[in-house]
Amino acid sequence: MPLRARLYSVFFRRTSTFALTIVLGALVFERVFDQGADAFYERLNHGKLWKHIKHKYETQEE
Amino acid sequence: MLSVAARAGPLAPYLSAAAHAVPGPLKPLVPQVEKLLLDPKGPVLCRESLSGRAPRGGLVATASLNAPASIRYIHNDVTVPDFSDYRRPDVLDKTKSSQESSDARKGFSYFLTATTCVASAYAAKNVVTQFVSSMSASADVLALSKIEIKLSEIPEGKNMAFKWRGKPLFVRHRTQKEINQEAEVPLTELRDPQHDLDRVKKPEWVILVGVCTHLGCVPIANAGDFGGYYCPCHGSHYDASGRIRKGPAPANLEVPYYEFVSDDLLIVG
Repeated sequence: MPLRARLYSVFFRRTSTFALTIVLGALVFERVFDQGADAFYERLNHGKLWKHIKHKYETQEE
Repeated sequence: MLSVAARAGPLAPYLSAAAHAVPGPLKPLVPQVEKLLLDPKGPVLCRESLSGRAPRGGLVATASLNAPASIRYIHNDVTVPDFSDYRRPDVLDKTKSSQESSDARKGFSYFLTATTCVASAYAAKNVVTQFVSSMSASADVLALSKIEIKLSEIPEGKNMAFKWRGKPLFVRHRTQKEINQEAEVPLTELRDPQHDLDRVKKPEWVILVGVCTHLGCVPIANAGDFGGYYCPCHGSHYDASGRIRKGPAPANLEVPYYEFVSDDLLIVG
């Protein structure tokens, strides 16, 4: 059985599992997409963000 | 007419109902000009005269007052276009059953649908979150709603007033004598019964909103019959815990939410 056919029969054939797939997929996708975008942004702006240069301006309090 | 042409079998190419010469597989347009079977008797185009123009009987042309006159042809010379560019690879082979690849093709279609749904759910959730979070207080408003008080600046036995959210805030550093005195007050004597220890987190510090519960005047500290607060407007007497003891006010002075960050620092709000 090819992958697509198995995908259909396991996840998409019943409306209940289809909806469940969408909801769980949205949860996973949100996490992956948000964190990936943040990591990408921080890599592009490495050394420019406040948290990268914060230690230069902090004075040690005893 | 089509059904007649279909039933004619091998004769079908010859039996096309056409008033004009149409190039077909058996009838090239240019080489010989066929003699068109026209009924010369009827020069006026009407139902009867047009029926005579066809090679066979029957109606092949219609003309009416409110529709343009037309003659229908059997388009047996039109080749079916090749749609294989638009077909899925599973059904390109017309000798194979399409049922076997049905699940795989449906899997792809539903996968696209599910992907779209996931993306829209993500977008919708973000839009809703944005609008809802725009209703909550912003950071500068939250920062203004708190006040930091250095406790070491308030000597024992003194009361200091601060402005907090537009209202006076009393911070009172009580002496041990006052603490003992307020702790011994029986609750039955009080109009708004509340024990002193329920109103403070540390017994030496009393934090109160300095608004009289009667009509909202600001009480005077260290005045009145009970050594606490006295409201000059209508004569309400509060004790050193801010509880109403005498006068028209119905309730004790309000205690705001506060916490001691360290021994020296108090944050109200």
